[in-house]
Amino acid sequence: MLFVTLPDWVEPTARYMFEVGLPGTLRIAAFSLVASAVVGVVLGTLLTIRFLPSRALIRLYVEVWRGLPIIVTIFIVFFVFPVAGHQFEFDPFTSATIGLSLWGSAQIAEATRGAVQSIPREQHEASAALGFGWVGRHVFVILPQAFRRLLPPVVSLLVGIIQNTTLASVIGASELLTTGKQQVERITSPPPAGIGEIHAIEIYGAVMVVFFLISFPLTRLAIFLERRLV
Amino acid sequence: MAVAVLFEPVEFVRENFDVLLAGLGRTLGVAAIAIVGAFFIGAVLGAARAHRVPVVSQLAAVYVEVIRNTPILVQIFMLFFALPQVGITLTPFTVAWLSIMVWGGAFNIENFRAGFEAVPYRYREAALALGFGRVKAFLNVTLPIGGRIALPSSINTYIAVLKNTALLYVISYPELTKTAYDINSSTLQTLETFFVLGVVYLALVWTLSALIRLLESHLALPENA
Repeated sequence: MLFVTLPDWVEPTARYMFEVGLPGTLRIAAFSLVASAVVGVVLGTLLTIRFLPSRALIRLYVEVWRGLPIIVTIFIVFFVFPVAGHQFEFDPFTSATIGLSLWGSAQIAEATRGAVQSIPREQHEASAALGFGWVGRHVFVILPQAFRRLLPPVVSLLVGIIQNTTLASVIGASELLTTGKQQVERITSPPPAGIGEIHAIEIYGAVMVVFFLISFPLTRLAIFLERRLV
Repeated sequence: MAVAVLFEPVEFVRENFDVLLAGLGRTLGVAAIAIVGAFFIGAVLGAARAHRVPVVSQLAAVYVEVIRNTPILVQIFMLFFALPQVGITLTPFTVAWLSIMVWGGAFNIENFRAGFEAVPYRYREAALALGFGRVKAFLNVTLPIGGRIALPSSINTYIAVLKNTALLYVISYPELTKTAYDINSSTLQTLETFFVLGVVYLALVWTLSALIRLLESHLALPENA
């Protein structure tokens, strides 16, 4: 049989999860990835400078945000930041993005440090001899070469960020798992809102499948890049 | 509104000491069960992967890919909120250790597989030549050497397992994060609560990381040193 008629609850549920939930997940992931990459590359490059105070500060940043469970980081952004003042009060979506970016940038900073330090000293010396200053040397000579080594960990981090967007559900930001949870609860409730049936396995199963379909090709890509580039 | 924010973490810990300690105890307890479980899953299925044991190896590969490519939070939801649909109701405690053990086990399979595969073939050859059977050769040669190679990366997995216990907040299992969250809800001492929570996690994670660095130099194989 080719056409299996789906139960009535499936269509509106799937529509809501794909039109509201999935874009939320992708938006949090995209913003977090860009912020993590920018902040991480800058901090990681600065970490290679032999100036103790700046190194100690960046080290602290990296070790703190790498060390904390991400859910705790998100709680800190969401609940503790507002204590510092109104301008630090963020909605759930932004809080989750900031929390993930703090974690992601710490990961990228560490990877960048390793990648930059793996570039031979001659490259620094040659570009200095050509008249580049510290910034020009890094922007035009060192970092472009370091990016090769940086790519596999960045792809792995992307998988991590995408999976961890689900943590946004604990503070109520709208993403795939949040919408799935809402739909499970709605369908469980008696008519007219729901149908009084439990369909948690189907819905959470679908969430798992979606994440798998996004993550699996990316983990393969990370392994492939690791073999090719490093 | 310019209100001077009072910040008294020591006083805070003193007032909530028993509750926090109980939460920390549950975090460590659940993590300990999961870490021991993940060790055995990793060692057994990692060996099956490395030695290409038919069927078991393929099943382990599927297990690894499914767990690694789906969010652990959804896995926890599956166990706790979805399984009752088919009549399987697990207690929060069971879901707590089971979910993070299954997760850690999957990552550990890869750690151990890589460790076992890194054992030079001539060691196994020598063991077989000395009359060891396949199982004995594994237990006496591949396991101790490969386990040593896999140790740093598997400790990294155990650290992640410990950090993942914080996710058990979502099933209201009263581990450290849930405990702190509840204290915050009732006392509104937000700054103190999350400061103490963060310090405790960092103390645990940083200690384990330092342990890796210590072990790495200590356990390095003589050949590679």
